[in-house]
Amino acid sequence: MKYVIDLFKSAITDFGKNKGRTFLTSLGILIGVMSVVLLMAAGAGLKLYISQQFESLGTNLLYVMPGNMFGEGGTGIRAGAGGSIAPIFEEKDIVDLKRIKEAEYVIPYYQKSIKVSFEAIAEYSTLNATSEDVFPSRNFVAEYGTVFSSADNSARNKVAVLGSKIAEKLFSDPSLALSKKIRIDGQSFRVIGVLQSKGGGGFGGPDFDNYIYIPYKTGYIFNTDKKFIEIMVKAKTSEALPLLKEDIKNVLLKRLETDDFSVVESTEILNTIGSIFSILNVVLVAIAAISLVVGGIGILNIMYVTVSERIKEIGVRRALGARRNDILWQFLAEAVVLSVFGGVMGLGISAIVVFLMQSFFPAYISISSILLALGTSSLIGIVFGVFPAKKAADLSPIDAIRYE
Amino acid sequence: MSSIVISLKNISKRYVMGDETIFTALSDINLDINKGEYVAIVGQSGSGKSTLMHIIGLLDKPTDGKVMIEGKDISTLDDDATSTLRSEFVGFVFQQFNLLNKLTIKENILLPVEYARRKFDYNPSERADYLMKRFGIFDKKDSFPNKISGGQQQRVAIARALIMNPKLILADEPTGNLDTKTGDEIMELFGELNKEGITILIVTHEHDIAERARRQIKIKDGEVVK
Ligand SMILES: Nc1ncnc2c1ncn2[C@@H]1O[C@H](COP(=O)(O)OP(=O)(O)OP(=O)(O)O)[C@@H](O)[C@H]1O
Ligand SMILES: [Mg+2]
Repeated sequence: MKYVIDLFKSAITDFGKNKGRTFLTSLGILIGVMSVVLLMAAGAGLKLYISQQFESLGTNLLYVMPGNMFGEGGTGIRAGAGGSIAPIFEEKDIVDLKRIKEAEYVIPYYQKSIKVSFEAIAEYSTLNATSEDVFPSRNFVAEYGTVFSSADNSARNKVAVLGSKIAEKLFSDPSLALSKKIRIDGQSFRVIGVLQSKGGGGFGGPDFDNYIYIPYKTGYIFNTDKKFIEIMVKAKTSEALPLLKEDIKNVLLKRLETDDFSVVESTEILNTIGSIFSILNVVLVAIAAISLVVGGIGILNIMYVTVSERIKEIGVRRALGARRNDILWQFLAEAVVLSVFGGVMGLGISAIVVFLMQSFFPAYISISSILLALGTSSLIGIVFGVFPAKKAADLSPIDAIRYE
Repeated sequence: MSSIVISLKNISKRYVMGDETIFTALSDINLDINKGEYVAIVGQSGSGKSTLMHIIGLLDKPTDGKVMIEGKDISTLDDDATSTLRSEFVGFVFQQFNLLNKLTIKENILLPVEYARRKFDYNPSERADYLMKRFGIFDKKDSFPNKISGGQQQRVAIARALIMNPKLILADEPTGNLDTKTGDEIMELFGELNKEGITILIVTHEHDIAERARRQIKIKDGEVVK
């Protein structure tokens, strides 16, 4: 044990005397470890972010989608043979689904990118033509004014509820938005409410605060086919979910075929997205790992240089009684120290970057990625250090001591 | 005969040169060194002195012949056993001192201890202090080799050779890189050590250095001539 400690101690003091070269050699590992750790942190953060977004949508939700997209197990997307993903749901479906006992909210989904303007100010936004149920189901509360009602829907009133961000963009002070006339793709709408901020957005997730909500029947101005791509149904209780799922299927089967639509739970979608991200992350991390190999080659190179620079030293050590393995361990320890030094630095810089990132993105470094970083960097030290170390150990004592 | 420290029997060393010719560096050397002896190996440059010393010091293997250490043939030992024997049996002193510049004086002296595979019946650190005090380099113990004079460096090397309490000290041109006065001081030191019973074999091509030894072995073209 003391032998091992001495070995690393002398390797570390060695490098202390050659700081510039040590740092440059470690740089490759530093960058490699940093890219792996950061990608893992970002991947973990993204997954967390998505699940948070889903949670913010509320629980006990079922998604009614066109096509047989999700397998029975709920993980993995199955390209439904012949199943189309064109909008197929109609107003009748919404009304029928609303009648199911276990269904608390029914929220049809029609979305369109639009240009919205107030006086001279024009902004881009996403229009959501849906039912009044969208607000309670997603815990959307009006900060100013009110949300639209089913009466607004039946009467096809041209009223709009704005997300806080788009309201701010158009009116600077969102409270001033109430009762103002805005134009959505040329159509005049009256603002009746502004929602409280929900946060999120910016990383591919839905940016709810930038959305504009109108009643779905009013939305037929834009949605001329009167078809919806998705209907969200919220169960009254989580126990009711399976039953609700069955009921939805039965209701829709009166009009549609089995393969035309699917009813999935939010957890199933989350799992699918999760597994897609995991695969993506593995691929990215694998690509980043290539830079680790490059770093390892840097160590291999510098260790070969070190060995040829120190042939005389090797000879002296052998003359003083060092065995082949003493020399082998000495150089191996140096390679590992170099590599782990790079790994620790990479980890440190990653920690700082992640810390800075956390103000806007929930990236985090898991224990497993710390262990992975340290483990792989020592492994790289060993793998790429072993050849030069073996070369050093294999030198014959006489050739080494006679070397000038 | 138990007083023979090392015995060479019909030792030859031949090198196959690039053009397939054979160069004989040593031929048929027979040599016994007794405990407590002070032997000088003399000869011209290229005569094979260092080659002989490296074979005696177990750094090199003869092409033919046997090396017996305390009556035991060592030609069958593997690399590890040879290394261990080297650490126990000999202490080297080189012309170029061969200290490691990144270690302090004291660390250099204690370096052989790191490779020792035995328990010490003395405290090596205390012995290092004793040797440094005795050689007048104790105040340099935390200095580095490139910060001290050549004479001091050679004293460090001698202390390093003595730290393991070896049976034999091998010195290859120990004064070769020193001026006459400093060289004389180093030779005084060897004389003192020999008086204390340490067996010394010194390689030199300087006549007056060889004169200090009690026995001279002269080699010429790889053969013992006297
Ligand atoms: N590895 C080798 N291959 C070929 N020839 C060698 C090798 N090592 C030594 N020699 C030759 O062996 C001969 C003896 O060398 P050695 O170093 O023993 O001489 P030396 O007596 O110590 O000389 P010097 O006084 O100059 O140190 C020399 O001619 C040298 O060139
Ligand atoms: Mg020589």
